[in-house]
Amino acid sequence: MKIPIHFILNGEEVSVEVEPNELLLNLLREKLGLTGPKYVCGIGECGACTVLLDGEPVLSCLTLAVDVDGHEVTTIEGLAKDNELTAVQKAFIEEAAVQCGYCTPGFIIMIDKLLKENPNPTEEEIREYIRGNLCRCTGYVNIVKAALKAAEELRKNTSLIKIKK
Amino acid sequence: MTESEHLFIGKRTIRKDAIPKVTGTMKFSSDYYIPGMLVGRIYKSPYAFADVRHIDTSEAERMGAVVITPDDVPSKLFNPRLVSVFEVTYKDYQVLTKHPRYLGDAIAAVAAPTEEKAQRALEALRVEFDNIRKPILDPFEAMSPNAPQIHDRILKGDERIDVKNNVGCVLEYSEGDVDKALKNADLVVERRFKTNRRYHMQLEPKTALCIPHSDGSITIYSTTQTIHNTRILIGQIFDIPLSKINVVKVPIGGSFGSSIQINPVVPITVALCLKARKPVKITLTREEDIYDHVAYQMHFKIRAGVTKDGRLVAGELENIMDIGAHQIQAYPLLGTALGWFVSLYKWRNIRYVGKAVYTNKVPTCAFRGYGAPQVSWAVETVIDEIAEKLGMDPVDFRLMNYVGKGDVFWGQGPTVKSIIRSDGVPELMERGKKLIGWHRRRLPSEKTGRYRRGIGVGRSFHTSGAGGPISGEVIDYTGSILKVNEDGTIDYITALQDHGGGTLDAHVKIIAEELGVPPDLINLVWSDTQTTLYDVCTHASRGTYVGGGAAVQAAKQLKEKIFNYAIRVLEKAVSPDALRLGYDKELKQAVVYVVDNPNMKITLKDLATLAWQRNWGTIATTVTYRSKAAPPSFTVYFVEVEVDTYTGKVRPVKVIGGADVGTVINPDFAAGQLHGGFAQGWGMTVLEDTPYLENGELMNRGFITDYKIVTAQDMPKLEDFQVIFAHTYEPTGPHGAKGLGEAALNSVAGAVANAIYNAIGVRFYELPITPEKVLEALKRREGGE
Repeated sequence: MKIPIHFILNGEEVSVEVEPNELLLNLLREKLGLTGPKYVCGIGECGACTVLLDGEPVLSCLTLAVDVDGHEVTTIEGLAKDNELTAVQKAFIEEAAVQCGYCTPGFIIMIDKLLKENPNPTEEEIREYIRGNLCRCTGYVNIVKAALKAAEELRKNTSLIKIKK
Repeated sequence: MTESEHLFIGKRTIRKDAIPKVTGTMKFSSDYYIPGMLVGRIYKSPYAFADVRHIDTSEAERMGAVVITPDDVPSKLFNPRLVSVFEVTYKDYQVLTKHPRYLGDAIAAVAAPTEEKAQRALEALRVEFDNIRKPILDPFEAMSPNAPQIHDRILKGDERIDVKNNVGCVLEYSEGDVDKALKNADLVVERRFKTNRRYHMQLEPKTALCIPHSDGSITIYSTTQTIHNTRILIGQIFDIPLSKINVVKVPIGGSFGSSIQINPVVPITVALCLKARKPVKITLTREEDIYDHVAYQMHFKIRAGVTKDGRLVAGELENIMDIGAHQIQAYPLLGTALGWFVSLYKWRNIRYVGKAVYTNKVPTCAFRGYGAPQVSWAVETVIDEIAEKLGMDPVDFRLMNYVGKGDVFWGQGPTVKSIIRSDGVPELMERGKKLIGWHRRRLPSEKTGRYRRGIGVGRSFHTSGAGGPISGEVIDYTGSILKVNEDGTIDYITALQDHGGGTLDAHVKIIAEELGVPPDLINLVWSDTQTTLYDVCTHASRGTYVGGGAAVQAAKQLKEKIFNYAIRVLEKAVSPDALRLGYDKELKQAVVYVVDNPNMKITLKDLATLAWQRNWGTIATTVTYRSKAAPPSFTVYFVEVEVDTYTGKVRPVKVIGGADVGTVINPDFAAGQLHGGFAQGWGMTVLEDTPYLENGELMNRGFITDYKIVTAQDMPKLEDFQVIFAHTYEPTGPHGAKGLGEAALNSVAGAVANAIYNAIGVRFYELPITPEKVLEALKRREGGE
């Protein structure tokens, strides 16, 4: 039994039929072509599948697709607008916080959200906020640096900088 | 050449794949969805040691699934790793098996249009087993004469060999007279060690996608460190001409050695695809991935002898490796483990016995460091003990006895030797001591109270690739292509994989430096086996050193070609030697100009166009390259820890990570290797293991809930984690550079373990050093006191 759902995905309306047991992560990746959110553990332990649901971070591997009916979903692909990277994305590049890149979407979604909640986080607050996101390459050092740098950039009110995609 | 003389090397640049990665648009193999694609699932043995009597596929097939069993696939034995020469490649793997040897061996596989249908078909397979045996989980038990044989016959190259006492392969070596030297030594220390069975926990689960074409050819996308060996192995197993197989290079979401071998998922996916004649993809679940590969687990016995004035006189290493159900690179590792041991310190008299023992456990494979983290932890513990017993400073004792500049180095085992030409150990020791505050270090007996801090040092190295002046048992070969496009940009084409460390960006910088044009003009081509030259594998920390070496040569040849053409246009120049390449900021073009006469010039764009208009030939070059050395990249960690004597928890307080990588090409990414190396090393020392239940099942049952890795909260503060690089230059390296990836991890566990000892006065001989073990040891000591 397929269930029709309607929701806003990265600013655009989407209508799609889903199975009652279909996960949001699979819907995004398999049917809607958004492979930024990653499958890593499937049990909510690693944060690589994180997306925003009405602006709040959720684990798309633990969210049923039917539950986003009537809501707004933002994935990593929806963060950069008009070919302009966000301050967090830019800081990730500049601070070399990206290595293999598999965990990167989840971290960027989380840090973007953190800086909206708390524009001036301490290092400790950053580490606490991203404690549920696993990375095996970076030892988190440059990720934390990128978060601090993005926060500083945003406070200087240069929220968007231009790097051509 | 000093740093300031470099145009691009050592400067910070934005990595080429940065924007796709931060915007989530980078496609990894698991991100490919092909129209009409089937999803595959693998039937893995529910028993650790049994025989398959019968497989009933009728129900699964009635459901419309494509099913393969051992009867549908080639039964030949193979080794999934093709890095050693053929004659010493041990083969015991099959695509699918009727004789599962661990809980997870693949017996059958299905493919269906959706994951759910595939899973239902998998559950509809009826597999009956015979001869279900109690698994052998201990290597010493496996070697006992009465133990059942896990493998009877395997292949070494083409030669059939009988496995005896479950010993898959052996390596012995000796030099000098160890017994005599130990007898005459003033002090002999003998210790046994056991390392943990760590899981790589690379973020991307192993994946393969195979697409069939109407002409009988196939295209493969997979998680791999080597596209060419993937092609060769698939060709060998299925008897397909290599011209009919194309393996595409796609980024890999971490690997750390776990895809040096062609992962079992690849031939299984190919077999399904060949039967279905449709694209098939399999992505392992995380639980399946934990049952796919772990690090080599080693049981060591070390005997070391020393004179009272601090001169090592003998070193003996017994290395019993619990390799699990299959051999991947057990034999070459017996050699490298010896190499790590011999190249750490001047033992002067050496004896080594290495045995790789089959058990009914998850197969082991290389994990960043390839045995060096294990060997270095044990040796650095023994060295620390000796220094203490002799009343010598641990740093001084190391400097007295380590293998350094001018000494013979054979990191990759007895068949790969070269002389050490660059050595930053003294500098790293000196600077590290100052930065950590070595003078603050007190005896363990002086520490009191609940929280006790300690400082420790650990030293190690890794090779830069597996090259040498004579051809050994390890293959080290690569090739690269450079071509100038008609607009003056340059395509760089290599099969070498970047695991995320920025290896290929280092190549781009090296090429840019050699040519004198900015990295922005050089395009890093995502290529495949059809369009690249053979590269053995990105492993052994060879990416920057070997691949960079090929890049230097390719760039030199390209430049020569450019100048030979440009001289035809810049007629007044006396010879090609009088020409230079550079970047014209106004024209925004690479230009060839006459030295001291910048106005006499032609853009690379115009030259490239002229070259084909006038039939001079395309400005392109191909280079193949085998490295003549594998120089050691030394690393030294100084670590301060705090032990909570109430809970047994250990916390990193301060870390100085020092590396001697010769010329630093990518400073940010080089530092990133040390950051990540420390995090993995910390996990190795205090956190990670995969223990078993008696039935051969993992205690964590595959869930990472019970396989903790380091989180952001477990690392030291930014200001307490400092990375330093020695000021060295490797004469055999590309612009003086050496490798780093593995060295960044190899010395961590030794440093942390020695710091823990310095805090609480207890040495641990079994990893990981969990809070339970710390509390137990403290309790035992207090009881003893």
